[in-house]
Amino acid sequence: MRPSPVLAIARRELGGYFGSPIAYVVLAATAAYSAVSFLPGFTAGSPASLRTVCSDVAWLALLVAPALSMRLISEELRSGTFERLAATPVRSGQIVVGKWLAASVCYAGVLIGPVAAAVALEAHAAPEWGPMIAGMLAVLLAGWLYLAAGTFASALSRNQVIALLLAVFAIGAPTLALHALADAQWLGGPARRLVARLSVADQLAELQRGVLDLRTPLFFASTTALFLFLATLVVEGRRR
Amino acid sequence: MIAAQGLSKRYGPVRALHDVSFDLPTGALVGLVGPNGAGKSTLLRLLTGCLRPTAGDARIDGASMAQTPKAARARVGYLPETSPLYPEMRVDAYLHFVGRLFGMRRADRRRRIDALTDRCGLGAIRHRVIGKLSRGNRQRVGVAQALLHEPPAIVLDEPTAGLDPGQSGAMRELLVSLRGHATVLVSSHILADVERLADRLLVIDQGALVHDGPPDTLRRALAGGAVRIEVRAEHAAVQHAMAHPAAVSVEPLAKTQAEAQSDAGWATYRVIPQNPERDLREHVAKALAAAGLPLRELVRESAPLDRLFDALKGGAQDTNASPAQMLAAQEPPGKEPPA
Repeated sequence: MRPSPVLAIARRELGGYFGSPIAYVVLAATAAYSAVSFLPGFTAGSPASLRTVCSDVAWLALLVAPALSMRLISEELRSGTFERLAATPVRSGQIVVGKWLAASVCYAGVLIGPVAAAVALEAHAAPEWGPMIAGMLAVLLAGWLYLAAGTFASALSRNQVIALLLAVFAIGAPTLALHALADAQWLGGPARRLVARLSVADQLAELQRGVLDLRTPLFFASTTALFLFLATLVVEGRRR
Repeated sequence: MIAAQGLSKRYGPVRALHDVSFDLPTGALVGLVGPNGAGKSTLLRLLTGCLRPTAGDARIDGASMAQTPKAARARVGYLPETSPLYPEMRVDAYLHFVGRLFGMRRADRRRRIDALTDRCGLGAIRHRVIGKLSRGNRQRVGVAQALLHEPPAIVLDEPTAGLDPGQSGAMRELLVSLRGHATVLVSSHILADVERLADRLLVIDQGALVHDGPPDTLRRALAGGAVRIEVRAEHAAVQHAMAHPAAVSVEPLAKTQAEAQSDAGWATYRVIPQNPERDLREHVAKALAAAGLPLRELVRESAPLDRLFDALKGGAQDTNASPAQMLAAQEPPGKEPPA
């Protein structure tokens, strides 16, 4: 069987993450943050839930995802390796998806904290696994969307710092703005519902409450695909 | 095998390449030379599908970069300038990665990496981290990845840049060994590198192809098509003999004192045609014979290619000059010191 170029690129990128300190630093910091978020509430009488820790990790993903994605394409552009990649029969979309896939696998490591917390809860209480799994799914969906936006930002600049700042702004500004608008009383009911439907933070909150609505994964899948498509257009443009 | 068909590339208002056409046959080893900024790398990027042309098309083994880019890219091996590699990867892991991008199966990758380990001298560095390799070794890895999938066309951008003389020699040997197996296009701004290697030279200047032919043809074009003769005659007699019908000029060449003493009566002249592409030899021989002037040497002059860039600079000042005139618009080879 012929090897898949998407998996070849993803495999190389994963090697890049774990061949440098970036993945270890990001994952260790996220695990520490999860512990700080979870342990104060891990007391007798407290609800056996991951809601707080998953919510906090999902907010932290606003920084973690850009940190993981900033190098994906900008580093190739800076070092000149993009030129070699561009001269292979691999399609621009395959390059983008391969890189995003590697970042997504690496990002999944942020679940170490919530999973450890779930194990601790199971050992000392009788938690409901449905909402806990939904909470972890929310962390993944949010991160994968942010990584797609970060991949797009990384394709826009050969400077990693600029790619990082672009990504933080591109995902942070609408997330915070829509979250604030969804609570704004001056907006009418239908408008507030529409904003809440478009707000990543509010969709995550719904999911973490254990409310399963097909529109939520559909929303994350479509916005993630949109950013990957935009990144593909930019990469294709760099081959012109 | 590697064909450019009216390739042009503009970056906004800047014309990087203009209407470049050529067709390189299978198995040829071809040099691409030109000053820095002439458009060599742009041309190579268009040929390898890194960039798309503003106009024209590139064809690799019959596959069009415009219409079937995936098929065309699969047929070419490419070493970009400065041989960019991933510093954190090991050499063999990197070669496997490139092989996967070209859809090579594991067994094929192993077979080719083993073969290239010998051919490119990677034995001692095969399991080392790329970031810790010397410039020369990185260049070897870059060439190995370009050859990995056994492409029928190989494009190498400055493969000897930054190498010491020993490494350059080894690289030249490697390139020569590819002759006949694949069509190889090698760019360099060091003329001596390609002059020794290439069957054919493409000269590019200011985005235009100003010469396409064997190195000898270029050397003769640089010499302005001049013929050097040694005759037993005075300057005026030679000029008179040449006056009709060719439009030529005759210059005496000075001899050293020792030569003047041993060759009493014999004088050396350079006969220069107005049209540098004209072959004067037959005309000169007939004209001298008709005039009854004894001739003992007749040589078509060629100039070292090092003078090419000077010629291009001279031609560039005349914006209306044709490519041939551009190459001819330089002084003839330096005169020997007077006796």
